[in-house]
Amino acid sequence: MNIVVCVKQVPDTATERKLRSDDKTLDRDAADGVINELCEYAVEEALRLKEAHGGEVTVLTMGPDKATDTIRKALAMGADKAVHLVDPALHGSDALSTSYALAQTLKKIGFDLVILGSESTDARTGMLAAMLAERLGTPQLTLANKVEISGAGITVQRVTDYGFDKVEASLPAIVSVVEKINEPRYPSFKGIMAAKKKQVQTFGIADAEIDAAQVGVANAWSEVADFAVAPPRAAGTVVKDEGDGGVKTADYLASKKFI
Amino acid sequence: MDFQLTDEQRDIRDTARAFVTRELLPLEEDFLRSGAARLPREQERSLQAKARKFGFWGMSAPERYGGMALPALTQSLIHIEVARTCVPFRFGGEADNILYGADAAQQEEYLLPTIEGRRLGCFALTEPGAGSDAAAIRTSARRDGADWVINGQKTFISNGDDADYAIVIAVTDRDARHGSTAFLVDRDAGWTSTPIPTMGSWHQPATLFFDQVRVPAGKVLGDVGAGFDLAKRWIGKGRHVISAHCVGIAERCLRMAVDYANLRETFGRKIGANQAVQWMIADSETELEAARWLALRAAWDVDRGADARHSVAMAKLFCCQMVGRVVDRALQIHGGMGYSKELPLEGWYRAVRAMRIFEGTDEIQRLILSRDLLRGFTRIGGHLA
Repeated sequence: MNIVVCVKQVPDTATERKLRSDDKTLDRDAADGVINELCEYAVEEALRLKEAHGGEVTVLTMGPDKATDTIRKALAMGADKAVHLVDPALHGSDALSTSYALAQTLKKIGFDLVILGSESTDARTGMLAAMLAERLGTPQLTLANKVEISGAGITVQRVTDYGFDKVEASLPAIVSVVEKINEPRYPSFKGIMAAKKKQVQTFGIADAEIDAAQVGVANAWSEVADFAVAPPRAAGTVVKDEGDGGVKTADYLASKKFI
Repeated sequence: MDFQLTDEQRDIRDTARAFVTRELLPLEEDFLRSGAARLPREQERSLQAKARKFGFWGMSAPERYGGMALPALTQSLIHIEVARTCVPFRFGGEADNILYGADAAQQEEYLLPTIEGRRLGCFALTEPGAGSDAAAIRTSARRDGADWVINGQKTFISNGDDADYAIVIAVTDRDARHGSTAFLVDRDAGWTSTPIPTMGSWHQPATLFFDQVRVPAGKVLGDVGAGFDLAKRWIGKGRHVISAHCVGIAERCLRMAVDYANLRETFGRKIGANQAVQWMIADSETELEAARWLALRAAWDVDRGADARHSVAMAKLFCCQMVGRVVDRALQIHGGMGYSKELPLEGWYRAVRAMRIFEGTDEIQRLILSRDLLRGFTRIGGHLA
């Protein structure tokens, strides 16, 4: 089985994260880049499926040069090879154009199963899995906390507000996972040493037949109009209970349109 | 000149960091509340087993014993990470360096079970009347037929009260220049121990008593008369690691100080807005950075096969003093919170004092450094001179 895991390098949540003042995109140089946490669960799941069913795990990332750190981490965990989609034209791509660029690349490299983390800690749109499935014409099985493969079929437990749904589909398919699915392994000492010998293929937009007019900050469908530092939290509203505390609380919540 | 880590060094460091963050830091609160000196042995062993699964096992052990045989510099990077928590932990799979030279029967009985964590040893050199002047030891071993009979006292022995065997350096020929010998002595052979309460909570050495303790000839480690050389090799193995440990503790303390300075408000503003606090942070960062490079440079000397005693002495002298100052400032910035036992700062404040004393006091390091220069053993400017 040919499994592709999409991973993303994100700014370390422990450091201060900034947007650039010129094009209002994320300032990726301002913070240390780390692998998006949910992507580690995706890599782990891919490795477990490979261990159970055989095949190969390919890491796919789209990002600037320094995203090679994130690729190396996934390879050190045990993935077999990697594809790095890197091109200045891709800078500032939004979720929609990112899904286009990744879909084009996935068509080139081929797959039976694509696994993603359900969202990234930077943009947090959580839309990529669904967009990829739509662009590639495959089933989408999102928010999985359990994945099972049997023959050409795949079954997942999809986390919902009320428990979980059981979702079945045929391969090839796109799966996104939540953090409850597994406990990601640490990159092993041997894995770290082996990672540098593994194949990392670099794709530019021409290699993946990506149309430059559909990617990048200038062609994004969404736009960051403006941004500002979040104001310090204002003092809360105190409801004094004089026998009518419940009513006052309810009135307050209603005034804020919570109820 | 390139001050970067290699990709491998960084990845190994990151894995160690992730392990500390995920597995050890969450234990800190309960550990502090428990007031214990260490994790329960079983808990430590299960953490070691977990780390073993991803190959973090036997950092310093030769590969034929299942170890990683990591370069000293990489080991230092790992020690820096592990020292970021007050929860005492070391990756498993290691034994005292001089045991790797033991004969086959001794390896079977001592080395291998120690590597596997089934046995715990201690190294007994220091005596009430002999510390760094190891030639002054008085504990004696005399031949009695095929056996040796050991009498004497050892003190400030790390793990001494928990160990089930001791590597004991004893005088076997008082007249010879190399008149001491190393023995492997099981606790069952009859030695006893008493813990020494100390200023630090997380380090409890012991005094060991040997009263007519009889061991067969097969318990001699190495050759008769080789005790002093073995002791020197044991002492030399890991002094640079202490410097790395200081750097890790100081990093954590400074991190805590910076976070607290940005959080705590007095008189309507963050205390970090006060120059008094800013200067403490700036001085700590500068000293920590200097210490880091001394520590890594010493490890680098070990790795390149140079005589590292001089750079290791500089690193130990500076790092052990540095960590005391940084912990002190971090505690001061935290005020009452720093003094409380809810945070690790007060524990570190006491614990790091030992670092200027054990494995060669500050004064011994200075003795080494000044002697090297005055006698022309080293040049000002070191390897760049």
